[in-house]
Amino acid sequence: MSLLAFQTALARLIVEPDFRDAVRGDGAAALPGPLTALEASRLVTIAGDRGLDMNRTLHKGFRLGKLRALLPLTCALLRPARLAREVAAFWQANPPASFSFLPEALEFCDFLARRELRSVYLAEVLAYERATLELERARLGPTPPQSVRFQHDPVRLLGTLAAGRRPRSVPPRPCLLLGSKGGDEPVHWTLVDAVSPLARYDRAHAADLMAA
Amino acid sequence: MRSPTLTLPKLGVGLAYQAPLAPLLAAAGPELDYVEVVPDILWTDLGRTAEPRYIDDRAGRDALEQASRCRPVVAHGIGLSIGSAGAFDAAHVAQVERWRRRLGFPWHSDHLAFHLAEHGDAPMNVGITLPLARDRQSIELLVPRIRTVQQRVPVPFLLENNVYYFDIPGCEMDEPTFLNTLCRESGCGLVLDLHNVYTNARNHGFDAGALVAELELEHVGEIHVAGGMELDGFYLDAHSDTIPDPVWSLLEWTLPRCPNLGGVTFELFGSWFDSVGNARITADLRRLRALWTQALQPAVPRRVLAEAA
Repeated sequence: MSLLAFQTALARLIVEPDFRDAVRGDGAAALPGPLTALEASRLVTIAGDRGLDMNRTLHKGFRLGKLRALLPLTCALLRPARLAREVAAFWQANPPASFSFLPEALEFCDFLARRELRSVYLAEVLAYERATLELERARLGPTPPQSVRFQHDPVRLLGTLAAGRRPRSVPPRPCLLLGSKGGDEPVHWTLVDAVSPLARYDRAHAADLMAA
Repeated sequence: MRSPTLTLPKLGVGLAYQAPLAPLLAAAGPELDYVEVVPDILWTDLGRTAEPRYIDDRAGRDALEQASRCRPVVAHGIGLSIGSAGAFDAAHVAQVERWRRRLGFPWHSDHLAFHLAEHGDAPMNVGITLPLARDRQSIELLVPRIRTVQQRVPVPFLLENNVYYFDIPGCEMDEPTFLNTLCRESGCGLVLDLHNVYTNARNHGFDAGALVAELELEHVGEIHVAGGMELDGFYLDAHSDTIPDPVWSLLEWTLPRCPNLGGVTFELFGSWFDSVGNARITADLRRLRALWTQALQPAVPRRVLAEAA
């Protein structure tokens, strides 16, 4: 039992700077039990070890790397400084609980959406990447259809970001992207213009989707 | 208690699979004998309570099935967290076995560390391998788990010595004693990561060669080599470069002394592929291959040498 508490505290020393600082300041008194005297002594020593900070750097790099891999366009749109601020605020409230970090990426999408950041394209890019992750997550089960409403040309917007460039003056194009996925096939997106839907979708169907 | 003799096929020189290295793998010649893969990249793990828990990655599966048609594929996992006090993840082991049947791993390995802890009722994934106390308590936690892995995945199982940027103070055993004891009592083999040894030695100020000399090298089933980089006063096991000279020296001493060695694997993260360059990677693979071939030569009896002179 105490080994479990020891490992939890060791992990928290890396993940939670406030906890690390409390242990540095208050010693064993800041440690939750049950711990043996040896375990408590070890944790207090480790809290003051420079190597712990290196582990935190590596931990943040790993966790950020997962978000960048799963949400590449959103991360590119936010730019490094803003991304770092938002990620830090997100991590403050969200311990790294998930195994694959796909659920964490979805939570980060919801977190960003709630922040209502001033960015012309963020809501659309975020919704697109969130829908993609939902399709990935549902790969083995019944796949709920995903539709993402765009106000700007998604081909231009997403293509520019995917090419590593910042989108500027993307022309308006009210439309829907409809995402589907069959079995372990790649995600397939279809663009449905609000004004002139693709031939494969009749107007009534498109209108239903727009109203959804 | 002595462990049964470790029996691995003599594969030779391997390269750790990363998607950006795919062109190099496709073009590699006889200097490359096998591919090592982190099996965890072949699936998405949605967590222990999810149903289904694992989603296979089609692109990764296709790439590895293609690779396995040309060369053996060896698995080196990151997801087991075998040292976690909270729970042993039997479903993860079953997932490894499922992929062993698919890709035919001749052996598989993971890290002698933990990265999963619990906070409240929720799992916490630190995402980096954290050290275990080199105590009897850790041995007793690990041995039954290793035996379970051995029962459920019917090929040799190895654990890799960990890199650590802080050590756990007041351990009952030094690192060689801990590794020797664990291998002897559990029957698992060792992935001797010489770059980890070198990194730890540089950061904590000990003699890497002396540590390796204390190991019972018959337990070593695989050797890892890599390059690293400096950051904030630490030398990192960053897999960011070719093999540095001190690691070559360690390898030259160690390789011929490991009678049960199955292979030597070069690890490089894919994001460093362009900056390191194909030519330098290939040169290291060829040098590894030459060392491997040399180590496989039967020792020439002294009498024969004397007669030849």
